[in-house]
Amino acid sequence: MASLPATSTGFLARSGRMNGFARMAGQRLSLLAVFLLLWWLAAQRVPAFILPGPGKTWSALTELIANGTFAEDLGITLYRVVAGFLLAAIVGTPLGILLGSNRRLGNYFEPVLSVVNTVSAAIWAIFALIWFGISNGTTVFVVFMEAMPLILTNVWQGAQSVNAEYVELARSFQMSRAKVMGKIYLPTVLPYFFSGARLAFGFGWRVSLVAETIGSSNGVGYRLRQAADLVQTDQVFAWTLTMVVLMVMLEYGILKPLENHLFRWKRRA
Amino acid sequence: MNAILTPAMLAKPPFVRNAVEVTHVSKHFGKLAVLEDISLTAPSGSVLAIVGASGCGKSTLLNIIAGLARADQGEVRIDGVASEPSLDTRVISYMFQEDRLLPWRTIVANTEFGLEAGSLSAAARRERALAALKMTGLEGFESAYPHELSGGMRSRVALARSLVVKPYILLMDEPFSKLDPQMRSQMHEELLRIREQLKMTVVFVTHDVEEAIVLADKIVVLRPRPGRVRESLVIDLPRPRDPLAAEVAETVRRVRALI
Repeated sequence: MASLPATSTGFLARSGRMNGFARMAGQRLSLLAVFLLLWWLAAQRVPAFILPGPGKTWSALTELIANGTFAEDLGITLYRVVAGFLLAAIVGTPLGILLGSNRRLGNYFEPVLSVVNTVSAAIWAIFALIWFGISNGTTVFVVFMEAMPLILTNVWQGAQSVNAEYVELARSFQMSRAKVMGKIYLPTVLPYFFSGARLAFGFGWRVSLVAETIGSSNGVGYRLRQAADLVQTDQVFAWTLTMVVLMVMLEYGILKPLENHLFRWKRRA
Repeated sequence: MNAILTPAMLAKPPFVRNAVEVTHVSKHFGKLAVLEDISLTAPSGSVLAIVGASGCGKSTLLNIIAGLARADQGEVRIDGVASEPSLDTRVISYMFQEDRLLPWRTIVANTEFGLEAGSLSAAARRERALAALKMTGLEGFESAYPHELSGGMRSRVALARSLVVKPYILLMDEPFSKLDPQMRSQMHEELLRIREQLKMTVVFVTHDVEEAIVLADKIVVLRPRPGRVRESLVIDLPRPRDPLAAEVAETVRRVRALI
Protein backbone atom coordinates (compact mmCIF):
# COMPACT_ATOMS: atom_id res chain seq x y z
CA MET A 1 0.00 0.00 0.00
CA ALA A 2 2.74 2.40 1.00
CA SER A 3 4.93 2.15 -2.05
CA LEU A 4 3.88 2.98 -5.56
CA PRO A 5 4.26 -0.12 -7.73
CA ALA A 6 4.84 2.04 -10.79
CA THR A 7 8.10 3.46 -9.40
CA SER A 8 9.77 0.09 -9.07
CA THR A 9 8.76 -1.04 -12.54
CA GLY A 10 9.28 2.40 -14.07
CA PHE A 11 13.02 2.07 -14.38
CA LEU A 12 12.87 -1.37 -15.95
CA ALA A 13 10.22 -0.21 -18.37
CA ARG A 14 12.35 2.76 -19.33
CA SER A 15 15.55 0.80 -19.91
CA GLY A 16 13.49 -1.72 -21.90
CA ARG A 17 12.15 1.12 -23.97
CA MET A 18 15.68 2.45 -24.59
CA ASN A 19 16.80 -0.97 -25.85
CA GLY A 20 13.75 -1.13 -28.05
CA PHE A 21 14.53 2.34 -29.35
CA ALA A 22 18.13 1.40 -30.26
CA ARG A 23 16.97 -1.75 -32.03
CA MET A 24 14.33 0.17 -33.93
CA ALA A 25 16.82 2.86 -34.98
CA GLY A 26 19.17 0.14 -36.25
CA GLN A 27 16.40 -1.46 -38.28
CA ARG A 28 15.33 1.85 -39.79
CA LEU A 29 18.89 2.79 -40.74
CA SER A 30 19.54 -0.58 -42.40
CA LEU A 31 16.26 -0.25 -44.32
CA LEU A 32 17.38 3.17 -45.53
CA ALA A 33 20.75 1.75 -46.59
CA VAL A 34 19.09 -1.08 -48.55
CA PHE A 35 16.81 1.41 -50.26
CA LEU A 36 19.69 3.70 -51.24
CA LEU A 37 21.68 0.74 -52.55
CA LEU A 38 18.80 -0.51 -54.72
CA TRP A 39 18.19 3.02 -55.99
CA TRP A 40 21.86 3.42 -56.87
CA LEU A 41 22.00 0.01 -58.61
CA ALA A 42 18.86 0.72 -60.63
CA ALA A 43 20.15 4.15 -61.68
CA GLN A 44 23.35 2.61 -63.03
CA ARG A 45 21.52 1.01 -65.96
CA VAL A 46 19.04 3.76 -66.80
CA PRO A 47 19.58 7.19 -68.35
CA ALA A 48 19.60 10.01 -65.78
CA PHE A 49 16.56 11.76 -67.29
CA ILE A 50 14.49 8.67 -66.46
CA LEU A 51 15.99 7.71 -63.12
CA PRO A 52 18.69 9.88 -61.58
CA GLY A 53 20.79 8.17 -58.91
CA PRO A 54 21.13 9.26 -55.28
CA GLY A 55 24.28 11.27 -55.99
CA LYS A 56 22.75 13.21 -58.88
CA THR A 57 19.57 13.88 -56.87
CA TRP A 58 21.64 15.15 -53.97
CA SER A 59 23.60 17.57 -56.14
CA ALA A 60 20.35 18.79 -57.73
CA LEU A 61 18.99 19.38 -54.24
CA THR A 62 22.04 21.33 -53.05
CA GLU A 63 21.89 23.37 -56.26
CA LEU A 64 18.21 24.13 -55.67
CA ILE A 65 18.93 25.25 -52.15
CA ALA A 66 21.96 27.30 -53.15
CA ASN A 67 20.64 29.33 -56.08
CA GLY A 68 16.94 29.02 -56.46
CA THR A 69 13.72 29.89 -54.74
CA PHE A 70 13.82 26.73 -52.65
CA ALA A 71 12.95 28.26 -49.28
CA GLU A 72 10.37 30.55 -50.85
CA ASP A 73 8.59 27.71 -52.67
CA LEU A 74 8.68 25.46 -49.65
CA GLY A 75 7.42 28.31 -47.47
CA ILE A 76 4.50 29.20 -49.72
CA THR A 77 3.41 25.56 -50.01
CA LEU A 78 3.64 25.12 -46.27
CA TYR A 79 1.68 28.33 -45.78
CA ARG A 80 -1.14 27.12 -48.04
CA VAL A 81 -1.32 23.71 -46.39
CA VAL A 82 -1.36 25.19 -42.89
CA ALA A 83 -3.97 27.80 -43.87
CA GLY A 84 -6.27 25.21 -45.44
CA PHE A 85 -5.74 22.89 -42.51
CA LEU A 86 -6.44 25.53 -39.89
CA LEU A 87 -9.61 26.60 -41.69
CA ALA A 88 -10.67 22.95 -41.83
CA ALA A 89 -10.05 22.56 -38.09
CA ILE A 90 -11.89 25.79 -37.25
CA VAL A 91 -14.92 24.77 -39.32
CA GLY A 92 -14.83 21.01 -38.81
CA THR A 93 -14.42 20.85 -35.02
CA PRO A 94 -17.50 22.83 -33.93
CA LEU A 95 -19.60 21.24 -36.70
CA GLY A 96 -18.47 17.79 -35.57
CA ILE A 97 -19.34 18.52 -31.95
CA LEU A 98 -22.72 19.92 -33.00
CA LEU A 99 -23.59 16.91 -35.19
CA GLY A 100 -22.25 14.48 -32.60
CA SER A 101 -24.20 15.91 -29.69
CA ASN A 102 -27.45 16.20 -31.67
CA ARG A 103 -28.52 12.86 -33.11
CA ARG A 104 -31.30 14.23 -35.35
CA LEU A 105 -29.04 16.78 -36.95
CA GLY A 106 -26.36 14.12 -37.36
CA ASN A 107 -28.67 11.67 -39.10
CA TYR A 108 -29.93 14.40 -41.40
CA PHE A 109 -26.53 15.56 -42.59
CA GLU A 110 -24.77 12.21 -42.72
CA PRO A 111 -25.21 11.71 -46.52
CA VAL A 112 -23.63 15.11 -47.27
CA LEU A 113 -20.40 13.95 -45.75
CA SER A 114 -20.32 10.73 -47.76
CA VAL A 115 -20.90 12.66 -50.97
CA VAL A 116 -18.19 15.20 -50.21
CA ASN A 117 -15.80 12.37 -49.40
CA THR A 118 -16.31 10.71 -52.78
CA VAL A 119 -15.28 13.79 -54.77
CA SER A 120 -11.66 13.46 -55.84
CA ALA A 121 -9.07 16.09 -54.99
CA ALA A 122 -8.46 16.69 -58.71
CA ILE A 123 -12.10 17.72 -59.18
CA TRP A 124 -11.85 20.15 -56.26
CA ALA A 125 -8.70 21.54 -57.87
CA ILE A 126 -10.54 22.19 -61.13
CA PHE A 127 -13.46 23.83 -59.34
CA ALA A 128 -11.02 25.92 -57.37
CA LEU A 129 -9.28 26.99 -60.55
CA ILE A 130 -12.61 28.16 -61.96
CA TRP A 131 -13.57 30.01 -58.79
CA PHE A 132 -10.25 31.36 -57.53
CA GLY A 133 -7.99 31.35 -60.60
CA ILE A 134 -4.24 31.16 -60.18
CA SER A 135 -3.94 32.21 -56.55
CA ASN A 136 -3.28 30.99 -53.03
CA GLY A 137 -7.02 30.50 -52.66
CA THR A 138 -7.03 27.57 -55.08
CA THR A 139 -4.62 25.44 -53.08
CA VAL A 140 -6.06 26.52 -49.73
CA PHE A 141 -9.54 25.55 -50.95
CA VAL A 142 -8.46 22.11 -52.12
CA VAL A 143 -6.64 21.41 -48.85
CA PHE A 144 -9.69 22.61 -46.96
CA MET A 145 -12.12 20.42 -48.91
CA GLU A 146 -9.91 17.40 -48.37
CA ALA A 147 -9.10 18.02 -44.69
CA MET A 148 -12.42 19.36 -43.37
CA PRO A 149 -14.52 16.19 -43.81
CA LEU A 150 -11.78 14.12 -42.17
CA ILE A 151 -11.64 16.34 -39.10
CA LEU A 152 -15.42 16.64 -38.99
CA THR A 153 -16.01 12.88 -39.16
CA ASN A 154 -13.54 12.16 -36.41
CA VAL A 155 -14.76 14.87 -34.07
CA TRP A 156 -18.32 13.76 -34.77
CA GLN A 157 -17.43 10.24 -33.71
CA GLY A 158 -15.68 11.59 -30.62
CA ALA A 159 -18.63 13.71 -29.56
CA GLN A 160 -20.89 10.65 -29.86
CA SER A 161 -18.61 8.68 -27.57
CA VAL A 162 -18.86 11.11 -24.64
CA ASN A 163 -19.73 9.11 -21.54
CA ALA A 164 -23.11 10.16 -20.12
CA GLU A 165 -21.95 9.01 -16.68
CA TYR A 166 -19.19 11.61 -16.66
CA VAL A 167 -21.67 14.31 -17.63
CA GLU A 168 -23.91 13.22 -14.76
CA LEU A 169 -20.93 13.28 -12.42
CA ALA A 170 -20.19 16.86 -13.42
CA ARG A 171 -23.83 17.72 -12.95
CA SER A 172 -23.81 16.23 -9.44
CA PHE A 173 -21.08 18.76 -8.61
CA GLN A 174 -23.27 21.54 -10.08
CA MET A 175 -20.94 22.27 -12.98
CA SER A 176 -22.08 24.78 -15.57
CA ARG A 177 -22.68 23.71 -19.18
CA ALA A 178 -19.58 25.54 -20.32
CA LYS A 179 -17.46 23.72 -17.75
CA VAL A 180 -18.95 20.36 -18.76
CA MET A 181 -17.96 21.17 -22.35
CA GLY A 182 -14.43 22.08 -21.35
CA LYS A 183 -13.83 19.35 -18.78
CA ILE A 184 -15.75 16.36 -20.18
CA TYR A 185 -16.46 16.90 -23.89
CA LEU A 186 -13.13 18.43 -24.88
CA PRO A 187 -10.87 15.77 -23.32
CA THR A 188 -13.06 13.00 -24.79
CA VAL A 189 -13.02 14.51 -28.28
CA LEU A 190 -9.32 15.43 -28.26
CA PRO A 191 -7.93 11.99 -29.23
CA TYR A 192 -10.46 11.78 -32.06
CA PHE A 193 -9.65 15.29 -33.18
CA PHE A 194 -5.97 14.47 -33.10
CA SER A 195 -6.20 11.38 -35.28
CA GLY A 196 -8.49 13.25 -37.69
CA ALA A 197 -6.17 16.24 -37.81
CA ARG A 198 -3.19 14.04 -38.45
CA LEU A 199 -4.88 12.33 -41.39
CA ALA A 200 -6.15 15.66 -42.63
CA PHE A 201 -2.71 17.24 -42.55
CA GLY A 202 -1.19 14.32 -44.44
CA PHE A 203 -3.89 14.36 -47.08
CA GLY A 204 -3.81 18.14 -47.29
CA TRP A 205 -0.07 18.10 -47.83
CA ARG A 206 -0.39 15.62 -50.70
CA VAL A 207 -3.32 17.26 -52.47
CA SER A 208 -1.72 20.67 -52.14
CA LEU A 209 0.88 19.52 -54.66
CA VAL A 210 -1.83 18.43 -57.09
CA ALA A 211 -3.56 21.78 -56.68
CA GLU A 212 -0.31 23.70 -57.15
CA THR A 213 0.56 21.92 -60.37
CA ILE A 214 -2.54 23.37 -62.02
CA GLY A 215 -3.56 26.36 -59.92
CA SER A 216 -0.48 28.37 -59.00
CA SER A 217 2.68 29.97 -60.28
CA ASN A 218 4.91 29.06 -57.37
CA GLY A 219 5.23 26.50 -54.61
CA VAL A 220 6.59 22.97 -54.59
CA GLY A 221 3.82 21.55 -56.79
CA TYR A 222 4.45 24.18 -59.47
CA ARG A 223 8.22 23.56 -59.38
CA LEU A 224 7.62 19.83 -59.70
CA ARG A 225 5.59 20.29 -62.86
CA GLN A 226 8.05 22.80 -64.23
CA ALA A 227 10.94 20.42 -63.66
CA ALA A 228 8.99 17.58 -65.27
CA ASP A 229 8.12 19.72 -68.30
CA LEU A 230 11.78 20.62 -68.76
CA VAL A 231 12.81 16.98 -68.21
CA GLN A 232 14.90 17.99 -65.18
CA THR A 233 14.21 14.63 -63.58
CA ASP A 234 16.92 15.13 -60.97
CA GLN A 235 15.05 18.18 -59.68
CA VAL A 236 11.77 16.24 -59.55
CA PHE A 237 13.56 13.69 -57.42
CA ALA A 238 15.12 16.40 -55.26
CA TRP A 239 11.73 17.93 -54.52
CA THR A 240 10.20 14.53 -53.82
CA LEU A 241 13.02 13.73 -51.41
CA THR A 242 12.47 17.05 -49.65
CA MET A 243 8.76 16.37 -49.19
CA VAL A 244 9.34 12.86 -47.87
CA VAL A 245 11.95 14.07 -45.38
CA LEU A 246 9.66 16.87 -44.23
CA MET A 247 6.75 14.50 -43.66
CA VAL A 248 8.91 12.05 -41.74
CA MET A 249 10.28 14.88 -39.59
CA LEU A 250 6.78 16.13 -38.92
CA GLU A 251 5.55 12.68 -37.97
CA TYR A 252 8.40 11.60 -35.70
CA GLY A 253 9.60 15.01 -34.59
CA ILE A 254 6.30 16.67 -33.71
CA LEU A 255 3.17 14.54 -34.06
CA LYS A 256 4.30 11.33 -32.35
CA PRO A 257 5.89 13.04 -29.32
CA LEU A 258 2.90 15.39 -29.02
CA GLU A 259 0.50 12.46 -29.16
CA ASN A 260 2.49 10.53 -26.58
CA HIS A 261 2.43 13.53 -24.30
CA LEU A 262 -1.25 14.40 -24.74
CA PHE A 263 -2.48 10.85 -24.34
CA ARG A 264 -0.04 9.59 -21.72
CA TRP A 265 -3.05 8.68 -19.58
CA LYS A 266 -4.02 5.88 -21.94
CA ARG A 267 -3.35 2.30 -21.01
CA ARG A 268 -0.44 1.01 -23.04
CA ALA A 269 -1.48 -2.15 -24.84
CA MET B 1 -29.29 -5.12 24.33
CA ASN B 2 -32.28 -7.32 23.68
CA ALA B 3 -34.29 -4.73 21.82
CA ILE B 4 -32.10 -4.63 18.76
CA LEU B 5 -34.86 -3.56 16.43
CA THR B 6 -37.10 -0.78 17.57
CA PRO B 7 -39.55 1.12 15.39
CA ALA B 8 -37.96 4.38 14.34
CA MET B 9 -40.91 6.50 15.39
CA LEU B 10 -40.55 5.48 19.03
CA ALA B 11 -36.80 5.84 19.16
CA LYS B 12 -36.66 9.36 17.74
CA PRO B 13 -36.19 11.97 20.47
CA PRO B 14 -37.90 15.28 19.70
CA PHE B 15 -34.76 17.47 19.67
CA VAL B 16 -32.96 15.68 16.81
CA ARG B 17 -32.25 17.85 13.78
CA ASN B 18 -32.88 16.11 10.49
CA ALA B 19 -30.22 16.45 7.81
CA VAL B 20 -32.48 14.85 5.22
CA GLU B 21 -36.24 14.76 5.45
CA VAL B 22 -38.31 13.16 2.69
CA THR B 23 -42.06 13.55 2.99
CA HIS B 24 -44.66 11.80 0.82
CA VAL B 25 -42.46 11.62 -2.27
CA SER B 26 -43.88 9.92 -5.37
CA LYS B 27 -42.29 9.50 -8.78
CA HIS B 28 -43.53 8.11 -12.07
CA PHE B 29 -41.68 7.36 -15.28
CA GLY B 30 -44.44 7.66 -17.83
CA LYS B 31 -47.16 5.32 -16.61
CA LEU B 32 -44.80 3.33 -14.43
CA ALA B 33 -44.99 4.21 -10.75
CA VAL B 34 -41.48 4.01 -9.37
CA LEU B 35 -41.88 5.51 -5.92
CA GLU B 36 -45.09 5.84 -3.95
CA ASP B 37 -45.52 8.00 -0.88
CA ILE B 38 -42.01 7.66 0.52
CA SER B 39 -41.31 9.36 3.82
CA LEU B 40 -38.06 9.05 5.74
CA THR B 41 -35.66 11.07 7.82
CA ALA B 42 -31.93 10.97 8.42
CA PRO B 43 -30.98 12.71 11.67
CA SER B 44 -27.94 14.95 11.42
CA GLY B 45 -24.72 13.00 11.87
CA SER B 46 -26.34 9.59 11.44
CA VAL B 47 -25.94 6.89 8.82
CA LEU B 48 -29.12 5.92 7.01
CA ALA B 49 -29.30 2.87 4.76
CA ILE B 50 -32.02 2.42 2.17
CA VAL B 51 -32.34 -1.30 1.50
CA GLY B 52 -34.42 -3.18 -1.01
CA ALA B 53 -34.45 -5.63 -3.87
CA SER B 54 -33.66 -4.34 -7.33
CA GLY B 55 -36.54 -2.47 -8.95
CA CYS B 56 -37.71 -0.78 -5.78
CA GLY B 57 -36.53 2.63 -6.93
CA LYS B 58 -33.61 3.00 -4.49
CA SER B 59 -31.41 4.87 -6.91
CA THR B 60 -34.27 7.09 -8.09
CA LEU B 61 -34.96 8.03 -4.49
CA LEU B 62 -31.30 8.89 -3.97
CA ASN B 63 -31.29 10.96 -7.17
CA ILE B 64 -34.29 12.90 -5.88
CA ILE B 65 -32.55 13.57 -2.58
CA ALA B 66 -29.44 14.66 -4.50
CA GLY B 67 -31.46 17.01 -6.70
CA LEU B 68 -30.48 15.10 -9.86
CA ALA B 69 -34.14 14.14 -10.39
CA ARG B 70 -37.39 15.80 -9.40
CA ALA B 71 -40.19 14.23 -7.39
CA ASP B 72 -43.68 14.36 -8.93
CA GLN B 73 -45.19 14.84 -5.51
CA GLY B 74 -43.89 15.39 -2.02
CA GLU B 75 -40.99 17.34 -0.64
CA VAL B 76 -37.33 16.88 0.18
CA ARG B 77 -35.89 19.06 2.92
CA ILE B 78 -32.16 19.29 3.39
CA ASP B 79 -31.23 20.52 6.86
CA GLY B 80 -34.74 21.85 7.24
CA VAL B 81 -34.75 23.77 3.96
CA ALA B 82 -36.80 22.66 0.96
CA SER B 83 -34.32 21.43 -1.63
CA GLU B 84 -33.97 23.00 -5.03
CA PRO B 85 -32.22 21.35 -7.99
CA SER B 86 -29.69 24.18 -7.84
CA LEU B 87 -28.75 23.52 -4.24
CA ASP B 88 -25.22 24.14 -3.11
CA THR B 89 -23.04 21.05 -3.49
CA ARG B 90 -20.82 21.87 -0.60
CA VAL B 91 -23.74 20.55 1.39
CA ILE B 92 -24.37 17.36 -0.56
CA SER B 93 -21.95 15.06 -2.25
CA TYR B 94 -22.94 12.08 -4.37
CA MET B 95 -20.91 8.91 -4.76
CA PHE B 96 -22.00 6.79 -7.70
CA GLN B 97 -22.14 3.05 -8.08
CA GLU B 98 -19.23 3.19 -10.53
CA ASP B 99 -16.14 5.13 -9.56
CA ARG B 100 -16.47 7.38 -12.65
CA LEU B 101 -12.86 8.50 -12.53
CA LEU B 102 -11.89 10.53 -15.57
CA PRO B 103 -9.22 8.41 -17.30
CA TRP B 104 -7.33 11.44 -18.65
CA ARG B 105 -6.77 12.93 -15.22
CA THR B 106 -4.27 11.93 -12.56
CA ILE B 107 -5.55 10.87 -9.16
CA VAL B 108 -5.05 14.30 -7.63
CA ALA B 109 -6.69 16.00 -10.62
CA ASN B 110 -9.63 13.60 -10.38
CA THR B 111 -10.00 14.53 -6.73
CA GLU B 112 -9.86 18.24 -7.54
CA PHE B 113 -12.69 17.76 -10.04
CA GLY B 114 -15.16 17.96 -7.16
CA LEU B 115 -14.10 21.54 -6.49
CA GLU B 116 -13.91 22.80 -10.04
CA ALA B 117 -17.49 24.02 -10.23
CA GLY B 118 -16.66 26.56 -7.54
CA SER B 119 -14.30 29.49 -7.56
CA LEU B 120 -11.46 28.23 -5.37
CA SER B 121 -7.94 29.02 -6.55
CA ALA B 122 -5.91 26.21 -8.10
CA ALA B 123 -3.57 26.15 -5.12
CA ALA B 124 -6.44 25.86 -2.64
CA ARG B 125 -7.99 23.09 -4.72
CA ARG B 126 -4.74 21.18 -4.81
CA GLU B 127 -4.29 21.57 -1.05
CA ARG B 128 -7.76 20.25 -0.28
CA ALA B 129 -7.44 17.40 -2.79
CA LEU B 130 -4.18 16.30 -1.17
CA ALA B 131 -5.81 16.41 2.25
CA ALA B 132 -8.73 14.29 0.99
CA LEU B 133 -6.34 11.77 -0.56
CA LYS B 134 -4.42 11.57 2.69
CA MET B 135 -7.65 10.92 4.53
CA THR B 136 -8.51 8.01 2.24
CA GLY B 137 -5.02 6.53 2.44
CA LEU B 138 -3.85 7.41 -1.05
CA GLU B 139 -0.74 9.39 -0.24
CA GLY B 140 1.96 8.72 -2.82
CA PHE B 141 -0.47 7.93 -5.62
CA GLU B 142 -1.30 11.53 -6.54
CA SER B 143 0.28 11.48 -9.98
CA ALA B 144 -0.86 7.98 -11.01
CA TYR B 145 -3.56 7.55 -13.64
CA PRO B 146 -6.80 5.66 -12.85
CA HIS B 147 -5.94 2.67 -15.06
CA GLU B 148 -2.87 2.04 -12.94
CA LEU B 149 -4.94 1.49 -9.78
CA SER B 150 -6.86 -1.49 -8.44
CA GLY B 151 -10.65 -1.42 -8.00
CA GLY B 152 -10.36 -0.77 -4.28
CA MET B 153 -7.99 2.14 -4.75
CA ARG B 154 -10.16 3.64 -7.49
CA SER B 155 -13.04 3.44 -5.05
CA ARG B 156 -10.96 5.37 -2.52
CA VAL B 157 -10.28 8.06 -5.12
CA ALA B 158 -14.02 8.35 -5.79
CA LEU B 159 -14.55 8.69 -2.04
CA ALA B 160 -11.84 11.35 -1.82
CA ARG B 161 -13.47 13.24 -4.70
CA SER B 162 -16.77 13.19 -2.77
CA LEU B 163 -15.11 14.30 0.45
CA VAL B 164 -13.06 17.12 -1.05
CA VAL B 165 -16.12 19.39 -1.09
CA LYS B 166 -16.41 18.85 2.69
CA PRO B 167 -19.98 17.59 2.42
CA TYR B 168 -22.51 17.94 5.16
CA ILE B 169 -24.37 15.02 3.63
CA LEU B 170 -22.79 12.17 1.68
CA LEU B 171 -25.12 10.20 -0.60
CA MET B 172 -23.89 6.87 -1.92
CA ASP B 173 -25.46 4.56 -4.51
CA GLU B 174 -24.17 1.03 -3.84
CA PRO B 175 -20.68 2.51 -3.81
CA PHE B 176 -18.74 -0.60 -2.83
CA SER B 177 -20.84 -3.23 -4.61
CA LYS B 178 -18.12 -3.92 -7.18
CA LEU B 179 -15.37 -4.58 -4.64
CA ASP B 180 -14.36 -7.95 -3.28
CA PRO B 181 -15.65 -8.69 0.26
CA GLN B 182 -12.35 -8.01 2.01
CA MET B 183 -11.86 -4.69 0.26
CA ARG B 184 -15.45 -3.79 0.95
CA SER B 185 -15.16 -4.26 4.71
CA GLN B 186 -11.95 -2.24 4.67
CA MET B 187 -13.80 0.57 2.90
CA HIS B 188 -16.60 0.32 5.47
CA GLU B 189 -14.12 0.93 8.27
CA GLU B 190 -12.58 3.86 6.45
CA LEU B 191 -15.97 5.38 5.74
CA LEU B 192 -17.06 5.18 9.38
CA ARG B 193 -13.77 6.66 10.55
CA ILE B 194 -14.00 9.55 8.09
CA ARG B 195 -17.66 10.16 8.93
CA GLU B 196 -16.68 10.47 12.57
CA GLN B 197 -13.93 12.91 11.65
CA LEU B 198 -16.05 15.11 9.37
CA LYS B 199 -19.33 14.76 11.30
CA MET B 200 -21.19 13.94 8.09
CA THR B 201 -24.62 12.53 7.60
CA VAL B 202 -24.44 9.53 5.28
CA VAL B 203 -27.38 8.24 3.26
CA PHE B 204 -26.69 5.20 1.14
CA VAL B 205 -28.54 2.71 -0.97
CA THR B 206 -27.68 -0.97 -1.01
CA HIS B 207 -29.14 -4.38 -1.68
CA ASP B 208 -26.61 -5.90 0.71
CA VAL B 209 -28.30 -6.21 4.10
CA GLU B 210 -25.07 -7.04 5.89
CA GLU B 211 -23.48 -3.86 4.57
CA ALA B 212 -26.49 -1.86 5.73
CA ILE B 213 -26.34 -3.29 9.24
CA VAL B 214 -22.59 -2.90 9.66
CA LEU B 215 -22.76 0.77 8.67
CA ALA B 216 -26.14 2.23 9.50
CA ASP B 217 -27.80 3.76 12.53
CA LYS B 218 -31.10 3.40 10.79
CA ILE B 219 -32.42 1.25 7.95
CA VAL B 220 -35.34 1.93 5.68
CA VAL B 221 -36.53 -1.21 3.90
CA LEU B 222 -38.33 -0.62 0.60
CA ARG B 223 -40.84 -2.88 -1.08
CA PRO B 224 -40.60 -3.08 -4.89
CA ARG B 225 -42.95 -2.11 -7.73
CA PRO B 226 -43.77 0.59 -6.87
CA GLY B 227 -41.21 1.45 -4.22
CA ARG B 228 -42.84 1.92 -0.84
CA VAL B 229 -41.47 2.03 2.69
CA ARG B 230 -41.97 -1.37 4.22
CA GLU B 231 -40.22 -0.82 7.51
CA SER B 232 -38.02 1.73 9.21
CA LEU B 233 -35.65 0.30 11.81
CA VAL B 234 -33.14 1.73 14.23
CA ILE B 235 -30.00 -0.39 14.51
CA ASP B 236 -28.77 0.00 18.03
CA LEU B 237 -25.77 -2.34 18.01
CA PRO B 238 -22.44 -1.36 19.54
CA ARG B 239 -19.67 -0.33 17.16
CA PRO B 240 -17.44 -1.54 15.61
CA ARG B 241 -19.77 -4.17 14.24
CA ASP B 242 -18.31 -7.47 13.19
CA PRO B 243 -20.56 -9.11 10.59
CA LEU B 244 -19.67 -12.47 12.12
CA ALA B 245 -20.77 -11.52 15.66
CA ALA B 246 -23.94 -13.29 16.78
CA GLU B 247 -25.99 -10.13 17.35
CA VAL B 248 -25.11 -8.69 13.97
CA ALA B 249 -25.75 -11.94 12.15
CA GLU B 250 -29.10 -12.27 13.89
CA THR B 251 -30.12 -8.76 12.88
CA VAL B 252 -29.06 -9.44 9.30
CA ARG B 253 -31.22 -12.54 9.28
CA ARG B 254 -34.22 -10.64 10.59
CA VAL B 255 -33.91 -7.77 8.13
CA ARG B 256 -33.45 -10.19 5.21
CA ALA B 257 -36.78 -11.72 6.12
CA LEU B 258 -38.39 -8.33 5.44
CA ILE B 259 -37.19 -8.05 1.87
